[in-house]
Amino acid sequence: MEAKEISLEMKEYLVAAGAQTLDHCMQCGLCSALCPWRMVSGHISEVFYIRKMQRLGQLGLEGFDTEEVLFACTTCGICQLNCPRQVKIIENVRSMRSTTVEAGFVPAPVRSVVGSLHANGNPWSGPREKRMDWQQGVEVPAFSPDTEYLLFVCCTSCYDPRSQRIARSVVDILKKGGVNFGVIGEEESCCGETVRKIGDEELFKKLAESNIKLFKEKGVKKIITTSPHCLYTFKNEYPELGGEFEVIHYTQVVAGLVEEGKLVPNVPLGKKVAYHDPCYLGRHNEIFEAPRTLLKAIPGTELIELSRARERSLCCAGGGGRLWAEVPRGERFGELRVLDAEAKNANILATACPYCVIMLEADCLALDKQEKIKVMEISELLSASMGRES
Amino acid sequence: MDKKLAVYICTGCGIGDALDVDALSKVATKEYKVPVCKSHPFLCGAEGVELIKQDMEGEGVNTIVIAACSMRVNYDVFNFPNAIVERVNLREQGVWCHPANDEDTQMLAEDSLRMGIVKAQQSSPPEPFQAENLSKTVLVVGGGLAGLTAAAEAARAGYKTVLVEKNPSLGGWVTRLYKQVGLKPPYSELEDVDIAQRVKEVEENPNITVYKGAQIEKISGAPGMFDVQIRQNGNLATERVGSIVLATGAVAYDATRLGHLGFGRYPNVVTGEMFEEMAARGELKRPSDGKEVKSVAFILCAGSRDKEHLPYCSAICCTESLKQALYVKEKDPEATVYIFYKDMRAAGNYEFLYQRVQKEGALFFRGEIAGIEEDGGSMVVEFDDVLVGDRIRTEPIDLVVLATGMVPTTAIGERLVVQADEQGKESEPPADEIIKSNILNLEYRQGPELPTLKYGFADSHFICFPYETRRTGIYAAGSVRAPMDIPSTIKDATGAVLKAIQCIELTAEGSAVHPRVWDLSYPEFFMQRCTQCKRCTVECPFGAINEDEKANPLPNPTRCRRCGTCMGACPERIISFKNYSVPMIGNMVKAIEVPEEDEEKPRIVIFACENDAYPALDMAGINRLTISPWVRIIPVRCLGSMNLIWIADALSKGIDGILLLGCKHGEDYQCHFIKGSELASYRLSKISETLNRLALESDRVRMEQVGIMDYDRIPQIIEDFVSKLEEVGPNPYKGF
Repeated sequence: MEAKEISLEMKEYLVAAGAQTLDHCMQCGLCSALCPWRMVSGHISEVFYIRKMQRLGQLGLEGFDTEEVLFACTTCGICQLNCPRQVKIIENVRSMRSTTVEAGFVPAPVRSVVGSLHANGNPWSGPREKRMDWQQGVEVPAFSPDTEYLLFVCCTSCYDPRSQRIARSVVDILKKGGVNFGVIGEEESCCGETVRKIGDEELFKKLAESNIKLFKEKGVKKIITTSPHCLYTFKNEYPELGGEFEVIHYTQVVAGLVEEGKLVPNVPLGKKVAYHDPCYLGRHNEIFEAPRTLLKAIPGTELIELSRARERSLCCAGGGGRLWAEVPRGERFGELRVLDAEAKNANILATACPYCVIMLEADCLALDKQEKIKVMEISELLSASMGRES
Repeated sequence: MDKKLAVYICTGCGIGDALDVDALSKVATKEYKVPVCKSHPFLCGAEGVELIKQDMEGEGVNTIVIAACSMRVNYDVFNFPNAIVERVNLREQGVWCHPANDEDTQMLAEDSLRMGIVKAQQSSPPEPFQAENLSKTVLVVGGGLAGLTAAAEAARAGYKTVLVEKNPSLGGWVTRLYKQVGLKPPYSELEDVDIAQRVKEVEENPNITVYKGAQIEKISGAPGMFDVQIRQNGNLATERVGSIVLATGAVAYDATRLGHLGFGRYPNVVTGEMFEEMAARGELKRPSDGKEVKSVAFILCAGSRDKEHLPYCSAICCTESLKQALYVKEKDPEATVYIFYKDMRAAGNYEFLYQRVQKEGALFFRGEIAGIEEDGGSMVVEFDDVLVGDRIRTEPIDLVVLATGMVPTTAIGERLVVQADEQGKESEPPADEIIKSNILNLEYRQGPELPTLKYGFADSHFICFPYETRRTGIYAAGSVRAPMDIPSTIKDATGAVLKAIQCIELTAEGSAVHPRVWDLSYPEFFMQRCTQCKRCTVECPFGAINEDEKANPLPNPTRCRRCGTCMGACPERIISFKNYSVPMIGNMVKAIEVPEEDEEKPRIVIFACENDAYPALDMAGINRLTISPWVRIIPVRCLGSMNLIWIADALSKGIDGILLLGCKHGEDYQCHFIKGSELASYRLSKISETLNRLALESDRVRMEQVGIMDYDRIPQIIEDFVSKLEEVGPNPYKGF
């Protein structure tokens, strides 16, 4: 049998690139067992074991860097949350990806994403000057030094027509709630969360530094995000680059208004609403109550908990750059969320993340369940309940 | 003692509702002419107990049959000093596992009462064995960590101690360590070796006599009166001691047998002990060329958990190697450490040490070594890594350290099997192997050292009876008993010395030690009828009986555990306890009423071991499982006390079948007396002779092994036997 050579140099490279807890892994395999890939069949499920990927990294052995292994993780974080050794598994994945991405190799599905980020500052190949097209006649206040909050709209909701509705709904409820906010617009760049997970550290830094500089110039102190991904990176990754801002997700702001009675949804929807906890809102940012407070505040709404909720929520499969991956039907764990909602007799599958909306809506269509289950962002439901057609 | 018998029938706990108590009373008053027979609805309550006490005072009652619950409960309530108390189990094994107000249940209860009355009639109160010139000194053999701890603990508890160490100084294996693993939180920090402090405490204690550079030449006697001859510097000293702690530890496995791991072939492959010496000198250098070591591989389980070498886990190699990995990292944080293991067994708090070594950057490999080669003065290891699922190859390594396992000192020596006859007859039950390790040099008929359990460790049953060896009054502690690390050894030695102290005190009271601590009876030999057949001297699981030159048995009551194996072995039936004897049980069998064949009510006698089978039968009742009404249960101290005459008695009386319920025997036995159930099984293999004489089928006698948790299996075990007996048909001796 031909023995594979250990490379301590490669291992040291990974550690230096951010996999500082790589050696802490004791290979118990809880990560692989909890991984959503175990819940589906297919090629990736067969080849991708996060436990083994850590092992190969520990020894600098070839194998962790084959494309379908290296880019399989959705960074949902369920393994990391439960790791008995507190291994920062996602950091390790990120540093492993950086070994190939920084060497110029970018997997095909995200090549255009990286290119567009370089060129346009957004992953959606949308020109910079169209970043504010989502407004479509809605009057949105511009940010000025005496505005309290910057509303940072996720690139997805700037460019994707379906997702633009989310941005408009958020604006609508913030206005009705009397929040002092404004937007910057064209000069903004993508927050960089996803591209960092893809492994392009350099590009992330470029985007983040440009945003930090912009926010500082405009006098931004507090930021409301529409996406939990932007929330995560502003809160956890910008400070070490000098960007210290008070960052909050829109559901938190609005839940506060509802609790204070400043915002009263009053149009009954008469729907059974199942709530899908986005990984980045729930596990990564520990925001579980605010979205539920909002759904419960809508009159005539029955809130349904999916069989996996809160810390145990099952990923939609759209994180870690996998929003752009092509996965055959039957191998997408987002489909399991739709089926779960159906089994619980929900009419609406609500969530609070633009990525989740894209993924779950596609899964719903793929399963031909779009007549039975509608995928909605919470802001859209709230806005509707306050008398606005979304 | 003039006996006055009384029978008390409790009607509580459903007994009175299920049985005809008047009819049951008539068994006592009419059949056995018992002068006092009363029933009470709550006999274990204050009023019930008072009733019995009044009869003892007023009527002179001194022999009491309590027909109520199992003997395993309320033994403290029904405890009447100076009286014989016999319990009849009407509850757990009566109405709780048989239908109420049923003819067969009533017959069962009546037979149970008959057996209880007969046993009470024939019992005498035990008179405890009182030996003279008893010593309360503890002998500790071995002056390493276990021995030092045992001696210090005994002295702290107020017992004089004699410590014998073969080396010229105390401290043992631990003295050779550079550092020791942390014994206190956070457990991940290495500590300076603290053995000198322990040695000092022992050497300065006026209650501890230390013999260094000494060996035990001979130990004769028995608990409470062991006479020990100690050879030191050519002089012979004598000490009388009460009990013994064996703490001679273990030695490292012979690395010269590990050529496949490179030892002896390559200079840069060393053992863990050699590495300790290197670390203590402060020189981590390659033996081949003196180059400073930049990378070290530790190979765990080197010769352990390997059927070619030591099949067991040596317990300390993981933590010791983790500790040594830190020696490397302390000297040079940039040095590479490889740790190859089968399973990481950093037990207890040493998980923290394991985590620390991981965080220091050591590389861990789980799997099997595929090969070790030299490559230009460096070593290269090929390894089948379970977690990668592939064979991998290391970068060049400066030094390979083999974590060799431990071999108990009791495992080293010539093997000896002691049989009744020097030739060793084929028909004999399997005898224990004794390894002549030259440690205790016991003057015992069954050999000079302790029988070992597995792999030469001097233990009896590591779960049920820790520290107990198979020689009463001798308790093993530390790695001579099982492989163990420093904290376990300290705990173990403390536990063993407590057992040694208990033995001393119980012996002084004339009581048995574990597992029959309350028992004041002991076997008495009616020597006029002894035929010097040696069965008792060979079969006693504890080597309690010596022999004179004419093969007469010489009992040592303080070595005895009161299991009755000798009583079961004796073909002449000359061995009896005051409250347990061959005729006593035989007469209980004879007291069972056997219906005529045409009544179609078969009878089965169950001899049930008191330790596991009897409580399992009780638990069947507690769980209200239904048991065949044909069985009559007789508890026995151990199946080893079963004498074949009981089977002959039962069959010649017309009993249809006999079921022996005893503990698991053989490998991983659960017998509380080690060999009792095994000996019963062996004797049963010889029963065909008896059955042939009676022209009966061998299917009528069956032995089953049950554990205490097997209560749910018991109804089926009995039912299967009943079906078998139905096939065989009724015993033709009915009515004779």
